[in-house]
Amino acid sequence: MQREVAQLAGCGRRVVGVPVSSRSHCHGAAAVRANSGYAGVVFFLVALIIAGLFLLHRLVRGYPQPRERYVVIGVWDAAFLDAAASTFFPAGGSVPLSGLEADLPGYADRYLASLPSRQRLLIRALFMLFEQSTIVLPARGLGAFRRFSSMTPEQRKVVLRGWAESRFYLRRFAFTALKAVLIMGYFGRPECLQFLEVESFEIETPIARADLLYPPIGQALESIQYAEADLTPPSDGTPVNMAEGIR
Amino acid sequence: MSAASQQDGEVRVFAQYDRDFSEEADVVVVGSGPAGAVVSYELARAGKSVVLVEEGPPFTPRDFRRDGNISMARTMREGGLRATTGTFMPVMQANCLGGASLINSAICVRPPDFVFDEWSSRFDLEESSRADLDPHFDAVGEFLGVAPTPQNVQGRRNLLFKRGCDAMGYSSEPVERNVRGCRGSGECFTGCRARAKQSMDISYIPEAIRLGARVLTSLQVQRVMSIGRRAWGVEGQVVEPLSGRTSHRFKVNARLVVLAAGCTATPVLLLKSGDLANSSRQVGRNLQFHPGCAVAGVFPEPVNPRFGATQSYHSLHFLREGFKMETMWAAPAALAVRLPGLGHELLDRFSQFGRMAVWDAISSTHQSVGSVRARFDSMDPAMSWRLHPEDAKLMARSIHALAQIFFAAGAEKILPGVHGLPDEMSSSEEAERLLQHPVRPTDLVIASSHVFCTTRMHGDADKGVVDEIGKCHDFENLYIADTGIFPRCPSVNPMFTVMALARRQALAIADRI
Repeated sequence: MQREVAQLAGCGRRVVGVPVSSRSHCHGAAAVRANSGYAGVVFFLVALIIAGLFLLHRLVRGYPQPRERYVVIGVWDAAFLDAAASTFFPAGGSVPLSGLEADLPGYADRYLASLPSRQRLLIRALFMLFEQSTIVLPARGLGAFRRFSSMTPEQRKVVLRGWAESRFYLRRFAFTALKAVLIMGYFGRPECLQFLEVESFEIETPIARADLLYPPIGQALESIQYAEADLTPPSDGTPVNMAEGIR
Repeated sequence: MSAASQQDGEVRVFAQYDRDFSEEADVVVVGSGPAGAVVSYELARAGKSVVLVEEGPPFTPRDFRRDGNISMARTMREGGLRATTGTFMPVMQANCLGGASLINSAICVRPPDFVFDEWSSRFDLEESSRADLDPHFDAVGEFLGVAPTPQNVQGRRNLLFKRGCDAMGYSSEPVERNVRGCRGSGECFTGCRARAKQSMDISYIPEAIRLGARVLTSLQVQRVMSIGRRAWGVEGQVVEPLSGRTSHRFKVNARLVVLAAGCTATPVLLLKSGDLANSSRQVGRNLQFHPGCAVAGVFPEPVNPRFGATQSYHSLHFLREGFKMETMWAAPAALAVRLPGLGHELLDRFSQFGRMAVWDAISSTHQSVGSVRARFDSMDPAMSWRLHPEDAKLMARSIHALAQIFFAAGAEKILPGVHGLPDEMSSSEEAERLLQHPVRPTDLVIASSHVFCTTRMHGDADKGVVDEIGKCHDFENLYIADTGIFPRCPSVNPMFTVMALARRQALAIADRI
């Protein structure tokens, strides 16, 4: 009887003809309702905290210490870049320089330092996108939802192919942007350029009249090291390949 | 502010700015790219007192970087990462003394008659035929030593293009460039270490300084000062090179203002100055590009692509149809980005670099029109632009034409770079798919550095921002001299045209003040 009344009261229905002693049970029902409300809030908060901790863990914990101290990038950028580099440029390929050997984190650190702050943020957001988006765009198999840098090489390849071949233009565009940063870093290594025979030619720069006007960037006019007497004849148009004896 | 103290005929750099300051001049020119440099030189030659203001720093050969990314981060706006929204397209715009001329491939080509005829008939322009502009083309060409690229620095990748065009029956020719003594190092895009390219910083600007012009670098103009129909100067802030941090304020008071800040910066400046010169509501509208797409071809024998002038052979055969084809070379990394694949497949393609040539086509996408707006938090533009499906078809047609030339030149395969089509094609028959496949705007990988029309000239003051000599319709003494005044995209590389127009403008201004 008491349980029924409480249930009825709890449902918000009007209770008719219920003994006074039973009315106290209405208060009890309200208390139960309030308690269940608190429990819901507490449950929600606990879930939120757990989700937050999970996200925090996913975002920052468990990354290996980087090989060196970087100025701009953090440990997660470095781990992502190493993982991406080894996927794009694996060891044992036609070019005898692996992505890991190319030290892309070091390159990215220097490159990002040269960018305006807004663009620096954009590039790091791009790294973050690829590192974390596996939670909604997973690979296959066990650990398919892990961070990109924690995946197996095969899973990383699956993830990157998903971006490269997506029917969504913006995903392909993001992939091209990431690829551009990585390739620029890879080609930033002289041994890569030398192997591919596309390194720059040695060129002696003539001293032109303009060199008497401008100092190097950031320096004062007084730092201009040339005078009229230092001017040299302009380029005579001798092809650089002839100078190096290459046809 | 301290009083004007600078002697005529000087250059000033960031390290010298230690306080707010002001300057006086007959003419202040904003922007030192090809147009601003020509205007400054011609006005200084006419005996006018000229202040040329440039936001970027001067780059000496010691400041050049051969790494493509780092070079772009240093010499280009927004670190080389500027792009349109709508259809995402990287847009390369320079931020240095000499503007784009420091980092372009020095192509100087006169648009054919039909371009100017269209300009005249559609935009009520009476004195802008090719014949009207030819004397100015001649004068600029002579000053800069514009001449066809010599055979000895063509390199194999450029000559293969000629061979392919000949075999297809397409016309082609060595590119005329503002270069003296090219050595074929292929480094135009990262700064010419041979000092052969006659970029503005080593040609027009030193001559302008010799004639008395004052060149103030690392200054960002943020506002055109005006009352009624008269502009009376510009003001802004000192900008630290590379970091972009702003500091001291400056003003330049002048009898006449010339904006040559570039097709995206000039409309932003007008809008930020209180919507100036905009009674036609055309400021920032009509944005057009020459979007380009590149195709790589692999030959059976070595091409040695690193040798040869950057872009030294082109074909104007399909100009009326809407595209121009040309050879190209850039920092190897920049070219490698467009190679498809991942992992070993990608590395295999890298290893074919020595047998590879890359050619590109730029298209006159007249149906793809966008706009430039001012961002609230900076002087950078917000560019909105969408590639029209019909223009995408035109670009697919240009890729097909490049494919034909590759196969006619003996290529064993091409990499067309079109989403939805095979990564590689091995015969001209297979390349027919480029015409059969319904190519959408989002299937193409495109980029551009040719930007036009945001302050277009028009004979009718209700339909354009400036008149035929670049004077703003709404002002007596405010001029615009950059590619923004083009009424339509010119079908060919725009530097020579904007310089010819700027010379005509400068001579007219010199007569008026």
